[in-house]
Amino acid sequence: MPTAIAFQSVTKRYRNGKVALNSVSWSVEVGSRVCLLGPNGAGKSTSIRLLEGALAPTAGSVGLLGVAVGGRGYDEARLRTGIVPQGPGMYPDLTAAEYLQLAADLYGVSTERAVHTVGLREYLHLRMAELSGGFQRRVVLAAALIAEPELLLLDEPTVGLDPKASHDVHQYLTAVMQGRTCLLCTHNLAEAEALCDQVIILQEGRVIVSGRLDELRRGARPRLRLAARQGPEALRARLDQVGPVHVDGTGVLVEVADPTTAAPMLLRRLLDAGLDVYECTPVRATLEDLFLEAVR
Amino acid sequence: MSSFRPLHRSVRLLFRKEVRQFLRSRQAVLTGLLLPAMVMVVAPGVQLLSANSARARSNIPAVVPGLSGINDVANIFLYFTFPLFVVLAGLMTPSLAAVHTVISERERRSIELLVALPVSVTDIVTAKLGANLAVSAVTLAPLFAVDAALILLVTTAGPLFVMAAFLVLLSALTASIGVSLLLALVARDFRTANNLNGAFVLPTIIVTGLCVALVPGLWRFLVLAVLLLAMGGAALWIALRWLTFERYLS
Repeated sequence: MPTAIAFQSVTKRYRNGKVALNSVSWSVEVGSRVCLLGPNGAGKSTSIRLLEGALAPTAGSVGLLGVAVGGRGYDEARLRTGIVPQGPGMYPDLTAAEYLQLAADLYGVSTERAVHTVGLREYLHLRMAELSGGFQRRVVLAAALIAEPELLLLDEPTVGLDPKASHDVHQYLTAVMQGRTCLLCTHNLAEAEALCDQVIILQEGRVIVSGRLDELRRGARPRLRLAARQGPEALRARLDQVGPVHVDGTGVLVEVADPTTAAPMLLRRLLDAGLDVYECTPVRATLEDLFLEAVR
Repeated sequence: MSSFRPLHRSVRLLFRKEVRQFLRSRQAVLTGLLLPAMVMVVAPGVQLLSANSARARSNIPAVVPGLSGINDVANIFLYFTFPLFVVLAGLMTPSLAAVHTVISERERRSIELLVALPVSVTDIVTAKLGANLAVSAVTLAPLFAVDAALILLVTTAGPLFVMAAFLVLLSALTASIGVSLLLALVARDFRTANNLNGAFVLPTIIVTGLCVALVPGLWRFLVLAVLLLAMGGAALWIALRWLTFERYLS
């Protein structure tokens, strides 16, 4: 599979001495939708900055659509890439139409299709700072989509939006990410889970997890969620010998080797002990579980 | 980091955007038009006309080599005061305009909108400084023409003097590129930018004052032009060597 994005032994040390990326290597294959996760300061935005060509790596090389960032052919590769930046400020003195026209001129295309895709036509005459948060993000998304890019880099596309606007942008992302190579940087794990099929988790400038989401899920230990009228502490007291138990709201999560055999056995044991168990459900590992486990 | 390419299509498109925004910003227009009008026409014009009508004799000690033999107040204005105004206008107008265009972009984080487009940070900064320079030059050129007309009409100075003063203006404008870039990369907010701009005025006035006081005749304009270009070059070198464009995004 050809790679759309390639980081090879990349180190980025800022002038203040902070190491944002520490000899990391990862890649994104053409056609895949990859989520770049990590706590604040993990190196996600630095990775996007390196791909934008706005920063240069201290060591190693960064490749975009088969060419080295900043090297021969990079300008052409950038024209095939759309970027949604993280929480950008808006111009109080430019209309949405003027900004999109600038984007269209730089890409050498027309604004028509992108404006239609994100439903902006009636708002084009408004100054960008006058638009609501959701529409501002649509303008940014339209600019990224203006040249029908084959690669989309999305840096926290829904951060700072209210739930309704976030939902709207999410809908647009679901539509436009289909059939495109995408790299999504986000803190929103539910969004990442819904939109991506691969995950790369960074921590303190290093890759700590990388792989397909379904494979990572398969590798995670299965769990059961149990709830009883007597409360989670009573359950925990009875389940400590079975495996690691975590309180989860009104119930507990217990790690088991095989839910189909463990569930009936545990249920019998708990009911025999006088606990009124009213819930026993096998739980699939979520991205949040995988993430928290990785960064713990 | 991509190379410096001032005539590239991307830079031209960004340049148009900058000029459009500049003309829409009341603050920027006030800074870009009122300040140069005051410094280039109102202040020197009043001085020139009053000096010319008074025909006063000044009392300059003979030890000041640049001013020895210049006793007429109008000539003192021409050879001492006027260059100060020209330098201030040429150097300060673009750098003050840069405060509005470059710093505001960073402060409100709209720079992210540009970096996401297929342009380099070098292109973005080039377009901004180019727009500041162009707007300042377009503003200052007619103002200088007013000065030149006044000087030619009411003093004994000839076209050579006007050309020499124009050379100083061009040098100051050229030097302002380095100063503006330094300002853009060092200052993170309006207050710092304005403080830095202010801090730059004093040494500029001292250097200009020393130059016009120490160098005789029209040579003072040539020396002043060289000094300004050196100052702008030093600022540019410091900006690119130690600060780099990464700082603009940090």
